[in-house]
Amino acid sequence: MVVFVILAVLAIAGALGTITFKSGIYSALSLVGTLLTLAMMYVTLHAQFLASVQVMVYAGAIMVLFLFVIMLLNESQMSGADPLPWVQPVAIAGGIVMAAALAFTAFQFKAPKNLETATAALQGGTPGVIGETLFTKFLLPFEAVSILLLIAVVGAVSLVHRQPAHNEALETTSEHATDDAYADEVSSSNPAKVVA
Amino acid sequence: MVETQYYIALAAILFSIGAVGFLTRRSAIQMFLCVELMLNAANLALVAFSRAWGDLIAQSAVFIILTLAAAEVAIGLGIIVAIFKKRPTTNVDVLSSLKG
Repeated sequence: MVVFVILAVLAIAGALGTITFKSGIYSALSLVGTLLTLAMMYVTLHAQFLASVQVMVYAGAIMVLFLFVIMLLNESQMSGADPLPWVQPVAIAGGIVMAAALAFTAFQFKAPKNLETATAALQGGTPGVIGETLFTKFLLPFEAVSILLLIAVVGAVSLVHRQPAHNEALETTSEHATDDAYADEVSSSNPAKVVA
Repeated sequence: MVETQYYIALAAILFSIGAVGFLTRRSAIQMFLCVELMLNAANLALVAFSRAWGDLIAQSAVFIILTLAAAEVAIGLGIIVAIFKKRPTTNVDVLSSLKG
């Protein structure tokens, strides 16, 4: 219980940091903290494979992608008045009501089995037993997800694909660059000719 | 051994925080981060229920959701980058050309 309370406080603190920090990088790093805490929580829930996948895929790959895009876009801080100032208090009030309602519902949950016997059936959630479920009962979703990933990769590439003919800004800057280089070449070669 | 109810309650709190953040943030990337937070709260609830029933199906479902989230992030960030090239902002109040 002590471990759970510590992890829960860390997870909530990270989540609050995610939604309160103005800077995108701080937000993303707070979310990394929450994700790592959740990975530890998966270990306490006997889901060892998911804990390692959470660290590698979520806290690793996905958040690196987020940080990469945040730094690539390098947007300035949001400025100007909020066009809908009443949204924030209403959203916070609604969020508190939703959290209270969901938590109240959670405590109506009656454990269907004895927790010790149910936990023993999980066998620690190691890769072996998860793989057995994935490749028997979950074979169709597993294959569907592989197609989904392929479509996502193709879609992402086609979305950010650069069409050189339409990118005027890039063309003008590159022309200027070549002009300057040409001018440098001419000016540096002229004295040489005079000397010769 | 901590009862399942506490895990579900924590998942509910995390989900609500994510929902509040999604409604109050104005940067598209930070809204995206809040969606990830909500997805993770749902994952935590699934894993907790998986332990309550002693069934590995929920854990396999969480694995599928993880993969789905990766695909979603790749596409979503791709869309944000593509929009950013046309209009250099991620403020969703400015990017309202699809508004009815």
